[in-house]
Amino acid sequence: MSYQVTSAILGLILASTILWLIRRDYLYSRHAFWWLLIAMMVMLLGIFPKIIDWLAAHLGVNYPPTLLFILGIGMILIKVISIDLHQSSLEKKVRRLAQRLAMLEGEK
Amino acid sequence: MQKSLILNYESLVILIPAKNEVNTVGKVVSAIKARFAISVVVIDDASTDKTASVARAAGAIVLPLPFSLGAWGAMQTGLRYALKRGFKTAITMDADGQHKADSIPILLAPIALGQCDVVIGAYPQRGSFLRRTAWFFFRQLSGVGLEDLTSGLRAYNHYAIKLLASPAATLLDYQDMGVLILLHKAGLQIIEKPILMYPRIDGHSRIFSSWWAVSQYMLHTGILCLAQFQHIKHSKKCHIK
Repeated sequence: MSYQVTSAILGLILASTILWLIRRDYLYSRHAFWWLLIAMMVMLLGIFPKIIDWLAAHLGVNYPPTLLFILGIGMILIKVISIDLHQSSLEKKVRRLAQRLAMLEGEK
Repeated sequence: MQKSLILNYESLVILIPAKNEVNTVGKVVSAIKARFAISVVVIDDASTDKTASVARAAGAIVLPLPFSLGAWGAMQTGLRYALKRGFKTAITMDADGQHKADSIPILLAPIALGQCDVVIGAYPQRGSFLRRTAWFFFRQLSGVGLEDLTSGLRAYNHYAIKLLASPAATLLDYQDMGVLILLHKAGLQIIEKPILMYPRIDGHSRIFSSWWAVSQYMLHTGILCLAQFQHIKHSKKCHIK
Protein backbone atom coordinates (compact mmCIF):
# COMPACT_ATOMS: atom_id res chain seq x y z
CA MET A 1 0.00 0.00 0.00
CA SER A 2 1.45 3.30 -0.99
CA TYR A 3 1.45 6.28 1.36
CA GLN A 4 -1.07 8.08 -0.85
CA VAL A 5 -3.69 5.48 -0.08
CA THR A 6 -3.03 5.75 3.67
CA SER A 7 -3.19 9.53 3.65
CA ALA A 8 -6.29 9.53 1.46
CA ILE A 9 -8.06 7.11 3.84
CA LEU A 10 -7.07 9.18 6.91
CA GLY A 11 -8.11 12.40 5.20
CA LEU A 12 -11.47 11.02 4.12
CA ILE A 13 -12.22 9.57 7.58
CA LEU A 14 -11.41 12.88 9.27
CA ALA A 15 -13.36 14.93 6.74
CA SER A 16 -16.41 12.69 6.86
CA THR A 17 -16.41 12.76 10.67
CA ILE A 18 -16.42 16.55 10.61
CA LEU A 19 -19.11 16.64 7.93
CA TRP A 20 -21.20 14.14 9.88
CA LEU A 21 -20.94 16.34 13.01
CA ILE A 22 -22.00 19.39 11.03
CA ARG A 23 -24.87 17.50 9.39
CA ARG A 24 -26.15 16.27 12.73
CA ASP A 25 -26.12 19.84 14.06
CA TYR A 26 -23.68 19.02 16.84
CA LEU A 27 -21.63 22.03 15.83
CA TYR A 28 -22.98 25.52 16.12
CA SER A 29 -23.14 26.95 12.60
CA ARG A 30 -20.57 29.68 13.34
CA HIS A 31 -17.99 27.05 14.25
CA ALA A 32 -19.13 24.78 11.44
CA PHE A 33 -17.69 27.05 8.77
CA TRP A 34 -14.19 26.74 10.17
CA TRP A 35 -14.51 22.98 10.40
CA LEU A 36 -15.92 22.74 6.90
CA LEU A 37 -12.79 24.51 5.70
CA ILE A 38 -10.59 22.10 7.68
CA ALA A 39 -12.48 19.10 6.33
CA MET A 40 -11.90 20.26 2.75
CA MET A 41 -8.20 20.85 3.36
CA VAL A 42 -7.73 17.50 5.06
CA MET A 43 -9.51 15.76 2.22
CA LEU A 44 -7.52 17.60 -0.43
CA LEU A 45 -4.17 17.03 1.26
CA GLY A 46 -5.03 13.41 2.01
CA ILE A 47 -5.82 12.58 -1.58
CA PHE A 48 -3.11 14.76 -3.11
CA PRO A 49 -0.23 14.84 -0.60
CA LYS A 50 2.00 16.17 -3.37
CA ILE A 51 0.39 19.59 -2.89
CA ILE A 52 2.54 20.08 0.20
CA ASP A 53 5.73 19.17 -1.70
CA TRP A 54 4.80 21.59 -4.47
CA LEU A 55 3.94 24.37 -2.00
CA ALA A 56 7.14 23.77 0.00
CA ALA A 57 9.28 24.00 -3.13
CA HIS A 58 7.67 27.32 -4.06
CA LEU A 59 8.05 28.72 -0.54
CA GLY A 60 11.68 27.66 -0.29
CA VAL A 61 11.10 25.05 2.43
CA ASN A 62 13.65 22.23 2.10
CA TYR A 63 11.76 19.63 4.08
CA PRO A 64 8.06 19.68 3.09
CA PRO A 65 6.64 17.98 6.24
CA THR A 66 7.81 20.96 8.35
CA LEU A 67 5.57 23.19 6.26
CA LEU A 68 2.65 20.87 6.99
CA PHE A 69 3.37 20.97 10.72
CA ILE A 70 3.84 24.73 10.79
CA LEU A 71 0.57 25.27 8.96
CA GLY A 72 -1.22 22.75 11.19
CA ILE A 73 0.12 24.21 14.45
CA GLY A 74 -0.59 27.73 13.23
CA MET A 75 -4.21 26.90 12.56
CA ILE A 76 -4.57 25.18 15.92
CA LEU A 77 -3.16 28.27 17.65
CA ILE A 78 -5.60 30.54 15.84
CA LYS A 79 -8.45 28.26 16.79
CA VAL A 80 -7.42 28.07 20.46
CA ILE A 81 -7.07 31.84 20.75
CA SER A 82 -10.45 32.33 19.19
CA ILE A 83 -11.91 29.86 21.69
CA ASP A 84 -10.37 31.80 24.58
CA LEU A 85 -11.69 35.08 23.21
CA HIS A 86 -15.12 33.59 22.87
CA GLN A 87 -14.91 32.04 26.31
CA SER A 88 -13.96 35.40 27.85
CA SER A 89 -16.99 37.05 26.36
CA LEU A 90 -19.19 34.20 27.57
CA GLU A 91 -17.69 34.54 31.06
CA LYS A 92 -18.57 38.22 31.05
CA LYS A 93 -22.13 37.49 29.95
CA VAL A 94 -22.61 34.76 32.53
CA ARG A 95 -21.35 37.01 35.32
CA ARG A 96 -23.62 39.87 34.32
CA LEU A 97 -26.52 37.49 34.02
CA ALA A 98 -25.90 36.14 37.51
CA GLN A 99 -25.67 39.70 38.83
CA ARG A 100 -28.92 40.64 37.13
CA LEU A 101 -30.60 37.59 38.62
CA ALA A 102 -29.40 38.53 42.12
CA MET A 103 -30.66 42.11 41.60
CA LEU A 104 -34.08 40.85 40.53
CA GLU A 105 -34.31 38.42 43.42
CA GLY A 106 -33.36 41.16 45.85
CA GLU A 107 -36.30 43.24 44.71
CA LYS A 108 -38.90 40.64 45.58
CA MET B 1 -21.02 71.84 59.66
CA GLN B 2 -20.01 68.23 59.58
CA LYS B 3 -23.57 67.16 60.47
CA SER B 4 -25.19 69.15 57.68
CA LEU B 5 -22.91 67.48 55.17
CA ILE B 6 -23.93 63.99 56.01
CA LEU B 7 -27.44 64.79 55.33
CA ASN B 8 -28.49 62.98 52.27
CA TYR B 9 -29.01 59.46 53.47
CA GLU B 10 -31.70 58.62 50.94
CA SER B 11 -29.23 58.66 48.09
CA LEU B 12 -26.61 56.70 50.03
CA VAL B 13 -26.37 52.94 50.07
CA ILE B 14 -24.05 50.65 52.02
CA LEU B 15 -22.88 47.62 50.06
CA ILE B 16 -21.60 44.57 51.90
CA PRO B 17 -20.48 41.54 49.89
CA ALA B 18 -20.59 38.46 52.08
CA LYS B 19 -19.62 34.86 51.63
CA ASN B 20 -20.12 32.52 54.55
CA GLU B 21 -20.02 35.31 57.12
CA VAL B 22 -22.95 34.14 59.21
CA ASN B 23 -21.21 35.01 62.50
CA THR B 24 -20.46 38.62 61.67
CA VAL B 25 -22.76 39.90 58.94
CA GLY B 26 -25.74 40.36 61.28
CA LYS B 27 -23.72 42.46 63.72
CA VAL B 28 -22.24 44.55 60.92
CA VAL B 29 -25.66 45.30 59.43
CA SER B 30 -27.38 46.07 62.73
CA ALA B 31 -24.49 48.28 63.85
CA ILE B 32 -25.02 50.43 60.75
CA LYS B 33 -28.80 50.35 61.03
CA ALA B 34 -28.59 51.42 64.68
CA ARG B 35 -26.47 54.48 63.87
CA PHE B 36 -27.94 55.63 60.56
CA ALA B 37 -31.22 55.37 58.69
CA ILE B 38 -29.74 54.18 55.43
CA SER B 39 -30.24 51.33 53.00
CA VAL B 40 -27.89 48.45 53.59
CA VAL B 41 -27.48 45.91 50.81
CA VAL B 42 -25.79 42.59 51.47
CA ILE B 43 -24.66 40.72 48.37
CA ASP B 44 -24.68 37.04 49.22
CA ASP B 45 -21.91 35.46 47.16
CA ALA B 46 -23.50 32.02 47.11
CA SER B 47 -22.91 31.33 50.78
CA THR B 48 -23.48 27.81 51.99
CA ASP B 49 -24.47 28.96 55.48
CA LYS B 50 -27.28 31.21 56.68
CA THR B 51 -25.58 34.49 55.75
CA ALA B 52 -28.53 35.62 53.60
CA SER B 53 -31.24 35.04 56.18
CA VAL B 54 -29.20 36.54 59.03
CA ALA B 55 -28.55 39.65 56.95
CA ARG B 56 -32.21 39.90 56.02
CA ALA B 57 -33.23 39.56 59.65
CA ALA B 58 -30.87 42.39 60.56
CA GLY B 59 -32.70 44.64 58.12
CA ALA B 60 -30.56 44.46 55.00
CA ILE B 61 -31.72 44.05 51.43
CA VAL B 62 -30.14 40.79 50.29
CA LEU B 63 -29.06 40.14 46.70
CA PRO B 64 -28.47 36.39 46.43
CA LEU B 65 -26.06 35.38 43.68
CA PRO B 66 -26.89 32.02 42.09
CA PHE B 67 -23.23 31.01 42.19
CA SER B 68 -20.08 32.55 43.59
CA LEU B 69 -18.64 35.41 41.54
CA GLY B 70 -15.83 36.25 43.92
CA ALA B 71 -15.32 39.39 45.96
CA TRP B 72 -15.40 41.81 43.07
CA GLY B 73 -18.24 40.09 41.21
CA ALA B 74 -20.37 40.43 44.32
CA MET B 75 -19.32 44.03 44.81
CA GLN B 76 -20.23 44.89 41.23
CA THR B 77 -23.65 43.34 41.74
CA GLY B 78 -24.17 45.86 44.53
CA LEU B 79 -22.89 48.74 42.40
CA ARG B 80 -25.21 47.78 39.56
CA TYR B 81 -28.08 47.63 42.02
CA ALA B 82 -27.13 51.08 43.35
CA LEU B 83 -27.06 52.47 39.81
CA LYS B 84 -30.39 50.90 38.90
CA ARG B 85 -32.05 52.11 42.07
CA GLY B 86 -30.73 55.63 41.63
CA PHE B 87 -28.45 55.76 44.66
CA LYS B 88 -25.95 58.55 44.13
CA THR B 89 -23.29 57.38 46.56
CA ALA B 90 -22.23 53.90 47.59
CA ILE B 91 -20.06 52.92 50.53
CA THR B 92 -18.64 49.41 50.49
CA MET B 93 -17.70 47.54 53.63
CA ASP B 94 -16.45 44.09 54.51
CA ALA B 95 -18.84 41.65 56.13
CA ASP B 96 -16.25 40.34 58.57
CA GLY B 97 -16.57 43.18 61.06
CA GLN B 98 -13.29 44.90 60.25
CA HIS B 99 -14.91 48.20 59.46
CA LYS B 100 -16.73 50.43 61.92
CA ALA B 101 -20.07 52.08 61.20
CA ASP B 102 -18.45 55.28 62.52
CA SER B 103 -16.25 55.49 59.44
CA ILE B 104 -19.27 56.10 57.20
CA PRO B 105 -19.44 59.88 57.79
CA ILE B 106 -15.65 60.15 57.47
CA LEU B 107 -15.76 58.49 54.07
CA LEU B 108 -18.82 60.39 52.98
CA ALA B 109 -17.55 63.88 53.77
CA PRO B 110 -15.07 64.34 50.87
CA ILE B 111 -17.65 63.05 48.37
CA ALA B 112 -20.42 65.23 49.77
CA LEU B 113 -18.05 68.19 49.42
CA GLY B 114 -17.25 67.19 45.85
CA GLN B 115 -13.54 66.89 46.62
CA CYS B 116 -13.14 63.56 44.88
CA ASP B 117 -14.90 60.64 43.23
CA VAL B 118 -13.62 57.80 45.36
CA VAL B 119 -12.57 57.67 48.99
CA ILE B 120 -10.62 54.73 50.33
CA GLY B 121 -10.59 53.99 54.01
CA ALA B 122 -6.92 53.22 54.35
CA TYR B 123 -5.17 51.33 57.08
CA PRO B 124 -1.81 50.62 55.49
CA GLN B 125 -0.22 49.58 58.78
CA ARG B 126 -2.17 46.37 58.66
CA GLY B 127 -1.13 43.30 56.82
CA SER B 128 1.70 40.89 56.86
CA PHE B 129 5.13 41.42 55.39
CA LEU B 130 3.94 39.46 52.37
CA ARG B 131 0.98 41.71 51.79
CA ARG B 132 3.01 44.90 52.14
CA THR B 133 5.63 43.56 49.75
CA ALA B 134 2.93 42.75 47.22
CA TRP B 135 1.48 46.25 47.54
CA PHE B 136 4.83 47.90 47.10
CA PHE B 137 5.42 45.82 44.00
CA PHE B 138 2.08 46.70 42.44
CA ARG B 139 2.38 50.37 43.34
CA GLN B 140 5.62 50.52 41.41
CA LEU B 141 4.24 48.53 38.52
CA SER B 142 0.99 50.39 38.07
CA GLY B 143 1.85 53.92 39.08
CA VAL B 144 -1.24 54.13 41.24
CA GLY B 145 0.10 56.06 44.21
CA LEU B 146 -2.13 54.78 46.97
CA GLU B 147 -1.11 53.28 50.29
CA ASP B 148 -3.83 50.75 50.92
CA LEU B 149 -4.62 48.95 47.69
CA THR B 150 -6.94 46.25 48.94
CA SER B 151 -9.10 48.05 51.47
CA GLY B 152 -12.73 47.04 51.13
CA LEU B 153 -13.88 50.20 52.86
CA ARG B 154 -14.56 52.67 50.09
CA ALA B 155 -16.99 55.35 49.04
CA TYR B 156 -17.91 55.81 45.39
CA ASN B 157 -19.79 58.75 43.91
CA HIS B 158 -22.19 58.54 40.99
CA TYR B 159 -19.50 58.69 38.28
CA ALA B 160 -17.47 55.97 39.92
CA ILE B 161 -20.53 53.77 40.39
CA LYS B 162 -21.46 54.20 36.74
CA LEU B 163 -17.97 53.31 35.56
CA LEU B 164 -17.56 50.31 37.84
CA ALA B 165 -21.02 48.93 37.09
CA SER B 166 -20.18 48.83 33.37
CA PRO B 167 -19.27 45.63 31.49
CA ALA B 168 -15.70 46.90 31.21
CA ALA B 169 -15.24 46.11 34.90
CA THR B 170 -16.99 42.75 34.86
CA LEU B 171 -14.02 40.55 34.10
CA LEU B 172 -11.98 41.83 37.01
CA ASP B 173 -11.49 39.35 39.81
CA TYR B 174 -10.38 41.53 42.69
CA GLN B 175 -11.43 44.97 43.76
CA ASP B 176 -7.93 46.37 44.17
CA MET B 177 -5.54 47.05 41.29
CA GLY B 178 -7.86 46.41 38.37
CA VAL B 179 -10.54 48.66 39.78
CA LEU B 180 -8.10 51.36 40.83
CA ILE B 181 -6.46 51.35 37.40
CA LEU B 182 -9.85 51.64 35.73
CA LEU B 183 -10.82 54.59 37.92
CA HIS B 184 -7.44 56.17 37.40
CA LYS B 185 -7.62 55.81 33.62
CA ALA B 186 -11.04 57.41 33.57
CA GLY B 187 -9.50 60.40 35.32
CA LEU B 188 -11.46 60.00 38.53
CA GLN B 189 -9.99 61.46 41.67
CA ILE B 190 -9.16 58.94 44.38
CA ILE B 191 -8.19 59.94 47.89
CA GLU B 192 -7.34 57.96 50.96
CA LYS B 193 -8.53 58.65 54.46
CA PRO B 194 -6.79 57.02 57.37
CA ILE B 195 -9.26 54.86 59.22
CA LEU B 196 -9.00 52.69 62.27
CA MET B 197 -9.95 49.09 61.63
CA TYR B 198 -10.81 46.26 63.92
CA PRO B 199 -8.94 43.03 63.55
CA ARG B 200 -11.12 40.45 61.85
CA ILE B 201 -13.58 38.96 64.32
CA ASP B 202 -13.83 35.77 62.38
CA GLY B 203 -12.46 34.21 59.26
CA HIS B 204 -9.55 35.39 57.18
CA SER B 205 -8.65 37.21 54.00
CA ARG B 206 -9.93 35.59 50.86
CA ILE B 207 -6.93 36.70 48.86
CA PHE B 208 -4.20 36.04 51.39
CA SER B 209 -5.48 32.67 52.50
CA SER B 210 -2.89 30.29 51.09
CA TRP B 211 0.31 30.35 49.11
CA TRP B 212 -1.52 29.06 46.08
CA ALA B 213 -4.15 31.79 46.31
CA VAL B 214 -1.45 34.42 46.82
CA SER B 215 0.51 33.32 43.76
CA GLN B 216 -2.65 33.29 41.68
CA TYR B 217 -3.46 36.76 42.90
CA MET B 218 0.06 38.06 42.27
CA LEU B 219 0.15 36.66 38.76
CA HIS B 220 -3.31 37.90 37.87
CA THR B 221 -2.70 41.37 39.22
CA GLY B 222 0.79 41.55 37.74
CA ILE B 223 -0.56 40.82 34.27
CA LEU B 224 -3.29 43.38 34.78
CA CYS B 225 -0.76 46.04 35.72
CA LEU B 226 1.42 45.20 32.73
CA ALA B 227 -1.52 45.34 30.36
CA GLN B 228 -2.37 48.82 31.58
CA PHE B 229 1.19 49.99 32.04
CA GLN B 230 1.59 52.46 29.21
CA HIS B 231 -1.66 54.27 29.88
CA ILE B 232 -0.76 55.40 33.33
CA LYS B 233 1.20 58.38 34.37
CA HIS B 234 2.60 58.53 37.83
CA SER B 235 -0.07 59.93 40.07
CA LYS B 236 0.54 62.13 43.02
CA LYS B 237 -0.43 60.98 46.44
CA CYS B 238 -3.42 62.90 47.59
CA HIS B 239 -4.01 62.58 51.30
CA ILE B 240 -6.57 64.52 53.19
CA LYS B 241 -5.69 64.21 56.81
